[in-house]
Amino acid sequence: MLFLPTTSLADQPVQNESLNSLRINGFLSQGYVKTDQNNFFGKSDGKGSLDFRELGLAASLRPTEKLQLSGQLLWRRAGEGSRRGISIDFGFLDYSFVTRPAGELGIRLGRTKNPLGFYNDTRDVPFTRPSIILPQSIYFDRTRNLALASDGAQLYGESRTDWGNLTAQFGTVFPQVHDRDTEVSILGANRPGDLKTRLSYVGRVVYELPNGRFRFAVSGAQVNAGYDPGADDRLASGSLKFTPLILSAQYNAERWSITSEYALRMFQLQNFGIRAFEQKFTGESIYLQGTYRLTPKWEAMLRYDLLFTDRTDRNGKEYAATTGRPAHFRFARDVTIGLRWNVTPSIMLATEYHHINGTAWLSNLDNPDIAHAKQHWNLFSFQASYRF
Amino acid sequence: MTAAGETVKTVRPVIHPGINTDHLSRNLLRSIFGMRLRTWQDGPPIRVFVLPDDAPTHGIFTKQQLNVFPYQLRAAWDRLTFTGTGQAPIIVQSEDEMYALITSTPGAIGYLSEARIDKHVRVIHVD
Repeated sequence: MLFLPTTSLADQPVQNESLNSLRINGFLSQGYVKTDQNNFFGKSDGKGSLDFRELGLAASLRPTEKLQLSGQLLWRRAGEGSRRGISIDFGFLDYSFVTRPAGELGIRLGRTKNPLGFYNDTRDVPFTRPSIILPQSIYFDRTRNLALASDGAQLYGESRTDWGNLTAQFGTVFPQVHDRDTEVSILGANRPGDLKTRLSYVGRVVYELPNGRFRFAVSGAQVNAGYDPGADDRLASGSLKFTPLILSAQYNAERWSITSEYALRMFQLQNFGIRAFEQKFTGESIYLQGTYRLTPKWEAMLRYDLLFTDRTDRNGKEYAATTGRPAHFRFARDVTIGLRWNVTPSIMLATEYHHINGTAWLSNLDNPDIAHAKQHWNLFSFQASYRF
Repeated sequence: MTAAGETVKTVRPVIHPGINTDHLSRNLLRSIFGMRLRTWQDGPPIRVFVLPDDAPTHGIFTKQQLNVFPYQLRAAWDRLTFTGTGQAPIIVQSEDEMYALITSTPGAIGYLSEARIDKHVRVIHVD
């Protein structure tokens, strides 16, 4: 302990904290979702769903200036998906072998968040999102675990110069595929067998102006998984290859920010031994989002979000002709308007309204009768969040 | 940055007098308050202290000295905290507390209104 000449007892906790490199942070939120058709995050059609809750606890320890140990526990409920209980969201050792004013180089070993786009690596932290529900064209909630975090090694580097800062991350990792949501979303149902993880790659390069007014990012991944058939399984041991590429841009002014991200998502299923599972198509996503800060405490948000499951069949007509299913399964246009009130730095209230044409990002788990999903629907949401 | 006719007080970056630095480029200062640069030139760890996001003095400092807005810093700190790739600065509740910690914590950096600055802290000149 240091001797403080001009301090009161009130300063003691901070004094301890500043000399101790252990940090604990957390967040919790309760959301409400109401739709007029279809279900999102629970049985939202009708009275609405309160089945949307996020709790996280993050800890980090920096024993030396080159080493940081970090971990986060997450408990999340969002309708029928995300019922894993408490999960290790991330947990890794971060070692910087070069730290200079001009930049740094290092490695992270363990489970790291996948650096995809601007929002994926903090997607479950309400305060970091521009809206309650992220643009679903890129930040799918139904296959979230596949994209969320993965286990392995990540190299990172940062270069800081007068013309801007460049941050690069590259990981050789094993994705998380052992959950029902992912299996149902990819294989159409909960199959007798199991998906198994295979070596995958993920990376992102972010360039920002020194003052952060402009931010640009290119991120991509090749996510590989295999299928281990169960007893009496119609499916053979096929494989899945998912290769998203995301371009991101953002402009930040004092009162407003404009953000846009564009994604191409190459998706391939092969060797499942059934024609319906021999698939190869490229999806396309884009959104344009404006945030206006009326005061530092009040923010309004407007977004146009567009998703095509197959960019060669944007209106879904070919799909409808070959499968007999509705064309609107293959696209979604979502116009969202939102309002956020930062009551204090640790309390936030948010509300938003979505007008949606298309059902491409609906979850089968929340919509067991998805064949009867309605093409045009509206979604209202409210969320209260607390952080510490 | 401010409405016409409004006079804004000056808020300057200050450090523990034991750190042998008088000048920092705006970029380095931004890296420090952005929690990306974690050690002083001669090796000791940098300890960053800030007032709450909604404190007027914090807003003046970020715009005046760093040329960024408080929401940008908050977003950057949250990305570090909630991906595990870094740590956020330590929040103090008043300039009195800031002064006490800057004068008593080796490696400390923070900021103070011009009126609060005396010989027990070292002022950083931003180039």
